[in-house]
Amino acid sequence: MKEPKTPRGRTLLTKPAVEVIIRASSKTGTPVRHIPVEHTSDDFPRAQSPVSQVAQPIYTRLSRASNYLDIQKRVILQTLNQPTLSPPFTEPSAEPSTEDVARKQLNDLIHGTVARGEGNSCLLLGPRGSGKSMILDQTLAALAAKPIILRLSGFVQTSDKLALREIALQLLLQTGSSFLVEEDEPLLGQPNAENDDDENPFLVQTTVPKDDQPLCLPPSSQLHALIPILLTLKKPVIVILDAIDLFAMHPRQSLLYCLLDTVQSCHASQENRGIAVIGVTTRIDTIQLLEKRVKSRFSGRTIRTAPPSCLDDWLGLARNTLQLPIPIEGEDHDTRKWQQQWNSSVEDFLDHGEVLDVFNDTFSITKDVKVLQRLLTRTVLRLNYNEPHLMPKHLISSVDSQRTRPSTLHLNSLSYPTICLLIASVHTYAAGHNSFTFEMLFENFRDQLRSSTSAPVQVNGGHIGMAYDGLKSTKAFVATTAPSSSLAEGYVRHRSTLDRDVVKKIVEKSGQVHLKKWLIKGG
Amino acid sequence: MSASTTPGYEAFSEELGFLLSSTPPPFIYIQSFEALRTTFTVVDALLHDLSRRPTGVDQPSIHCATVDAASCFTPRLFYEGVIHSLIDWIPEWEDGCSIWMPEESTTVRWNENLDTFVHGLVSAQAYLRLRLSQTNSEKRKGKEPDTEVGRNQNVRLVIVIERAEKLKEDHPELLVPLTRLAELARIDLCVIFISQVGWEDVRPPFGASPDPYFVDVPSLTKENISKLLVTNYPSYASPNDNLLETPYHPALASLYPHFITMLCDVCYPFTHNPDELQYIAAARWPGFVKPLIDEYKQALHERRQEDNEVDLDSELPQINVSEDLRIRLIRYFNASFTTALETLLPRQSNAADWASANVPPDNLFSMARPDTGYQQQQPSAQEALAATSSQAGMRSLPRMSKFLLIASFLASTNPAKSDLRMFGRGLDEKKHRRRGARSSGKTKSGVASKIPQRLLGPIAFPLDRILAILGALLEENDVETRLVAREFVVPGEYTDMEIGRVGVYAAITELTSLGLMHRTSPADRLDGPPMFKAAISYDDALALAKELDIALNDLLWDPV
Repeated sequence: MKEPKTPRGRTLLTKPAVEVIIRASSKTGTPVRHIPVEHTSDDFPRAQSPVSQVAQPIYTRLSRASNYLDIQKRVILQTLNQPTLSPPFTEPSAEPSTEDVARKQLNDLIHGTVARGEGNSCLLLGPRGSGKSMILDQTLAALAAKPIILRLSGFVQTSDKLALREIALQLLLQTGSSFLVEEDEPLLGQPNAENDDDENPFLVQTTVPKDDQPLCLPPSSQLHALIPILLTLKKPVIVILDAIDLFAMHPRQSLLYCLLDTVQSCHASQENRGIAVIGVTTRIDTIQLLEKRVKSRFSGRTIRTAPPSCLDDWLGLARNTLQLPIPIEGEDHDTRKWQQQWNSSVEDFLDHGEVLDVFNDTFSITKDVKVLQRLLTRTVLRLNYNEPHLMPKHLISSVDSQRTRPSTLHLNSLSYPTICLLIASVHTYAAGHNSFTFEMLFENFRDQLRSSTSAPVQVNGGHIGMAYDGLKSTKAFVATTAPSSSLAEGYVRHRSTLDRDVVKKIVEKSGQVHLKKWLIKGG
Repeated sequence: MSASTTPGYEAFSEELGFLLSSTPPPFIYIQSFEALRTTFTVVDALLHDLSRRPTGVDQPSIHCATVDAASCFTPRLFYEGVIHSLIDWIPEWEDGCSIWMPEESTTVRWNENLDTFVHGLVSAQAYLRLRLSQTNSEKRKGKEPDTEVGRNQNVRLVIVIERAEKLKEDHPELLVPLTRLAELARIDLCVIFISQVGWEDVRPPFGASPDPYFVDVPSLTKENISKLLVTNYPSYASPNDNLLETPYHPALASLYPHFITMLCDVCYPFTHNPDELQYIAAARWPGFVKPLIDEYKQALHERRQEDNEVDLDSELPQINVSEDLRIRLIRYFNASFTTALETLLPRQSNAADWASANVPPDNLFSMARPDTGYQQQQPSAQEALAATSSQAGMRSLPRMSKFLLIASFLASTNPAKSDLRMFGRGLDEKKHRRRGARSSGKTKSGVASKIPQRLLGPIAFPLDRILAILGALLEENDVETRLVAREFVVPGEYTDMEIGRVGVYAAITELTSLGLMHRTSPADRLDGPPMFKAAISYDDALALAKELDIALNDLLWDPV
């Protein structure tokens, strides 16, 4: 059932759809054309009333995707968010990139298994977002004959038993038969109690059974015998172990041992169809995690992927993503004009000093392409009819939202009691107490209320308590002791995750003078 | 209400709506700091809009499931919640409440574990695709059917998980697979987490999850909240309904924005949660419009007396809210908003009780000086409040139990070493008093300042200690009330007998079972005295001490 992903092209819109869109727009009498910034609102009536545009239900707005900006946005978003798509990482250069090398190695390996029936194993190693899964998926999708692909993930199959069960299920769905059962059939009778069928659906067969036959998993006691059977199948098998380092944590690494042992015992011959075990991981020391007997059965082949190595690659990636041609066939004048205009606006955007700064910063922090994708996604989403070109300010605001999220992001406007509690917590910390109880903060607050000449708004105990609960539920205050039935709520110790600088910013933003005074008083 | 019209959420729903209808990232994280429930409503409405939207070749049909992580206390509930709401399956009692089973009959149930759940998602998508192509072919008979690829892309699943931070506590094993669900299931799928806390508090260790695409809900401004509350004015009453029966009559709707504006002016500094403000508004509004309704009733009454035939339909007296009237109403009720806030925000009372306790007097406007007194109702409200609080239960306790409670409070608050100084009496009858002035704030040497035990919570004490303190208390405060007993000659001998009575021990056990004291040592421990802890607050202790005429503050090591 797990079909390899078909490589989806960039054409989100098929030709008829676009024709429909164009026809619809020509029907309404508004010729589709590029939207310059200074465009008068005559041709685009919605541009003049953004409020009414907001008030419309979403779907009517979206279904009237009657201009290029919308299509352009959709195309870019599709490229950004479809992980299997391959945005060209680098400009073609003389020396092959890491990605090309990895792609070739992996292709050779899989080809060896599928075409020549070899038993192969390898490790696909690379940091997050460096295209491991993408390369793998593309290689598999490009195969002429479809092998049996078993996908396991260390995050889901947390034990060998679960993994074997999942292998059995995937085999069942891909070949239509559950193995292992025929020799024990007379003894076991009904191997599965839920199955009241009198027929014997468990014969080894490669044809898909008819729909009326229920599919059954082999009994769990026999699952371990499933691995050697992989060699006897009529098609080559490719086992993909995502997060293979987690499989190495399983006791005795028995699944890995069995799989790799099977790989080793697979000799190229007429009977064998070949098997490949591909481990995908981000962890560099994965091979060291393997036990000796497992390691000796592993081929030791490691295919590495890497993120873009220099800023220019990174920028090239952004440029290529943003300057995607919109998939409208039939090069008419308007399309070309829009495309030109859009491309030059992207160039302007990418040459802008602030934009370069942002990319430079980001690249120095992380080379993860996914961060770039998120930044661009948010920037592209900010495009609208009033601002149809990419704006540096949107990219800069995206940094706060997507890359390094400041802890004050959501704390712009806190209620008065909440700010009071935060200030009290800062004072308590300054007095040398790392944790505090609600009663301590409340006392602090009451003292302040009593002593301050410009008495702040009178607050009764209740509000402060509710604010305290609010801070607890937002994890600004974290309990340091486990809750116990014999301890009243007000005496549970907490510590604040917001330090003085953050609180200072919050108080400054609130603009209340007496709160600021109170904060400063503590020094 | 449509999602895109919620005040303050325009940009949010614009962004999310476009994202979900074009190509969403596989994992979105929505952080909503304050108005969490409003965000739920907005996202729900948005997804509802999206799933009702006409589908086309480039626009997949969107099916969504919303589950609350707090209510899914087993993984199985979670799996069933997601898949059943994706395909709109409601288990029927008549069918034995069976779960949905996909067409292709495997004997594997999809709600067993995460693996099968992923397979279940794939089957659910296949089922939805089938359903979609069936309805499509019904719609346009004779036209060419969809290609296989086209159908593949036509169903998008959106799974919304509310209060996602609960997942980390309840099902940490689900967290990583959920964030990677799209790549596990390999279908067009988007998982949305909505939470009050940030991703950094939910994120599993070792970077096992990919970082999400963040969508932040902006904090609501006062204007947006009041707009939001005004749009929530209930519309169930029609203009033909009897005004006397519903306070939410359309005739009164023109007053509502002013009411809400005033409410927000008073209450917004204290809470920014629209739900709480709505709650207060619901408690106050019926009382707020009562003078108008009274006036209307009176006018109606006069009208009926004037002409005896009742012709209600034709000539109803009109309610017209003049500027002057509004100002009078607002001036009269302004103070009551603060009291409503103080009572209702911590839920010391509920809205209905508070409303009935704070009904304005009948025919307010015909009273001589209506503007002066809102506060008459206050004492009764306070009494009602006091009746529910813990002090009421304590008031009916026997005298000895009250002494015991104060003794327990003192024993839990004062350090054990201070007892001799606090309670011991030398020959010179001069008490050694407590320690000197409180050290305040930071000490110079960098050592943390001492925090009064009263603020840190009660400490445990042995039974002997509470009995000793009880003896001291009785000796000081109870001797005069006793009957004269000539057989006791040594000073304190009478008190010794009093504290040795079985009744005292029984009272301690009783107070423990009432929850006014906690026993901290296990009941089956034999060695050592049993340990206890006070469970009453300082205020409660102060009230009891006042009743018994004990100067509590003189007996505290750390004076208040």
